[in-house]
Amino acid sequence: MRVDVVHNVTKLNDAMAQQIRETLREKRIFCLNLISSPGSGKTTILERTLDHLRDELRCAVIVGDLATSIDAYRMAEYAPTIQINTDGGCHLDAAMVSTALESLKLDELDVLFIENVGNLVCPVGFDLGQDVKVGILSVTEGEDKVAKYPRIWREASIVLLNKIDLAPFVFFNRTKFYADLEQVNALLPVIEMSATKGDGVSRFCDWILREREDRLAIRR
Amino acid sequence: MHEVSLAEQLIGPVLAAAAQYGGERVTAVTVRAGALQQIVPGSLALAFEAVALGTLAEGATLTVETVPVTARCRRCDAEFEVEAFCFLCPTCGVADVATLTGNELLLASLELEPCESTSSTTSPS
Repeated sequence: MRVDVVHNVTKLNDAMAQQIRETLREKRIFCLNLISSPGSGKTTILERTLDHLRDELRCAVIVGDLATSIDAYRMAEYAPTIQINTDGGCHLDAAMVSTALESLKLDELDVLFIENVGNLVCPVGFDLGQDVKVGILSVTEGEDKVAKYPRIWREASIVLLNKIDLAPFVFFNRTKFYADLEQVNALLPVIEMSATKGDGVSRFCDWILREREDRLAIRR
Repeated sequence: MHEVSLAEQLIGPVLAAAAQYGGERVTAVTVRAGALQQIVPGSLALAFEAVALGTLAEGATLTVETVPVTARCRRCDAEFEVEAFCFLCPTCGVADVATLTGNELLLASLELEPCESTSSTTSPS
């Protein structure tokens, strides 16, 4: 007996993400979901960004990690940080974020950063209730990652091209990077960045401030 | 791994549907996955086999039907199939296009052995 079902597999996650979105909307918190490969510099970018925004916005971080608390320790110096260990799971899901939110004082927050597990495929398919996805690529990974993992560049609202100071040493093909991005999502803004040196961090912070104001204005 | 967590999310609805239609055993599962999901069908089948152990769906075969990526141009309204992940309107060349299909992940259909048909009778489809 054949039965046609047509059931959205991510339905439960989507519903929970929508609840998170409504909670954050009500509290007027702007939420960014940071997605990249392992080692692209997410944590360093976040450290610099939190430091830069310190006097302007009240920030908090939810950080996903397979097994350790290394990133959470680094971030806690700059902002309230909640660590989620996924026990080997390759991405965060809405249920994990929902639980983590219970440990944050939402009334005292303007911006929530979610540092997803390092992975360019799985995290993209799981809505966490964020306002924007931030796609991060470091030049050491190679320009071909734009064509290889198209979905993240379709869904991101901005790309941070990190470790740009290393571009000449790893023969990063900038022309190919921009040409491929043009095909996948020509409307996507790119910030070239070197988080360790601090280059591009203030441009990213300006973008956050602008985007937050735009989104909050819409919510009024 | 991607496919393992998707298999874990798949098994619930599969068993719920089997229960709803009074199935005794699930013999086959069909999933429709958008090409942007970048699912490896063999990996999903293997993962599903593992999560289905000890359930009504143990031993069921899983088939993945890939849904091509399509988009609609926001300027000229042309609908087109996106090839090689090139999201540029083939008619007017603009990049302002909305993805129509290619992101979905759907449980599409199941093959069930109904409770009535005990060991002696097997009803094809």
